[in-house]
Amino acid sequence: MLAAFADPVFDSQRNFRELLQAMARPMQPRELPLLPPSPAPIAPAAMAVLLTLCDTTTAVWLQQPNEEAAQHLRFHTGTRLVEKPAEADFALISEPASMPPLEAFAHGDMRYPDRSASLIVQVAGFRTDAGARFTGPGIRDSAQLSIDGLPQRFWQQRAAMAALLPLGIDVYFVSANHVAALPRTTRTLES
Amino acid sequence: MTPSYNFAFLDENTKRMLRRALLKAVAIPGYQVPFGSREMPLPYGWGTGGIQVTAALLGPDDVLKVIDQGADDTTNAVNIRRFFSRVAGVATTERTSEASVIQTRHRIPETSLREDQILVFQVPEPEPLRTLEPREAETRTLHALADYGLMHVKLYEDIAQYGHIATSYDYPVLVDGRFLTSPSPIPKFDNPKLDHSPALMLFGAGREKRLYAIPPYTKVESLAFDDHPFEIQQWEETCALCGSGKSYLDEVVVDDQGTRMFVCSDTDYCGQRQAEMPS
Repeated sequence: MLAAFADPVFDSQRNFRELLQAMARPMQPRELPLLPPSPAPIAPAAMAVLLTLCDTTTAVWLQQPNEEAAQHLRFHTGTRLVEKPAEADFALISEPASMPPLEAFAHGDMRYPDRSASLIVQVAGFRTDAGARFTGPGIRDSAQLSIDGLPQRFWQQRAAMAALLPLGIDVYFVSANHVAALPRTTRTLES
Repeated sequence: MTPSYNFAFLDENTKRMLRRALLKAVAIPGYQVPFGSREMPLPYGWGTGGIQVTAALLGPDDVLKVIDQGADDTTNAVNIRRFFSRVAGVATTERTSEASVIQTRHRIPETSLREDQILVFQVPEPEPLRTLEPREAETRTLHALADYGLMHVKLYEDIAQYGHIATSYDYPVLVDGRFLTSPSPIPKFDNPKLDHSPALMLFGAGREKRLYAIPPYTKVESLAFDDHPFEIQQWEETCALCGSGKSYLDEVVVDDQGTRMFVCSDTDYCGQRQAEMPS
């Protein structure tokens, strides 16, 4: 079995601060300072998010579950693995091309919009000099980001979900040692 | 640092619960996220919500500043600062510009905040509608429907009775055009600083077990009417110590004859200005 964070208290604190700033400043990639070892198909950056945020009170859904990954997560976090996307607090998407539609995940209750899934999506890469422009809370004027390896239908499904605000789904995209967040409130600017 | 506690007092499960709630709070600006508030070694009303949020944030490299009504040297501020230097061993400061995390009770510093700073507010009552509607189930529904007519009626009644909106602190704001939010009991003088702030702002209410956030660069409007626009407090006086005409002033009675003086409520801002004055 692989190890988790070398120093659980401080490693998760440092990663959390980057996740918090990433969520506060959407679509602006930030570096995760500490990446733990992780079994395939979970990327080290995705494992850093899971180890930082998950424990016995969370439910995690894996898109491509396997025995080693499941055992690793259960051992290090004690988290509950669920079979239906709708039951997940955190969902790990390791192959975005075949990810389930966004409607499959919990998007909250009108009285409790926070009872919604957070998606961790492993993507091929980020480019800040290309792609769509985004605006919304946390973005000064606009932020530009191109995400490689994300199917076009993700954006269509997300646009359809915008009508449900404040219900919605919050996403952490991870690539290598970077994370970029896409909270429900971020809007894509028409080019 | 006291070694018998986990770093920053709280256990890791509690910190993770707080961190998950904080991330959802940032993702839904102005919405109150319920959280499992813990017993802290000081009573409710002394900033337990803010302390729990700060504990979930702090790392060994942080520099913490704590203010109470703008002052670094009041009991609440001194004790919270000392608490975190004992249980987390973090460096503390009174300088706004040197701090990475600033916990505040009822003020926003006069010095502009930066993107790499986080402001943590202590909140007694997170629900702006609570005095108008005591039932939580009902206020939740009002937020779900974005039905804020009650608050507009309250402000209107102020105008009908006093000729102006009499709310001078904890003045309700609309965050990102969606959630009616309590800015905590900051004077309305500070409300404009909430709008498009470069710094992330987090709010913790320990007794009420709610936390919420205003992300940076987010539209924050103070409620008003077209014919009664939002206005902040103004003074004819300037600060008796540093001469500032732009800061929030406290009126202090200085003798038995009722002599008064006006001084900055932000002690760091005032002290810096005094230090810069030619002697």
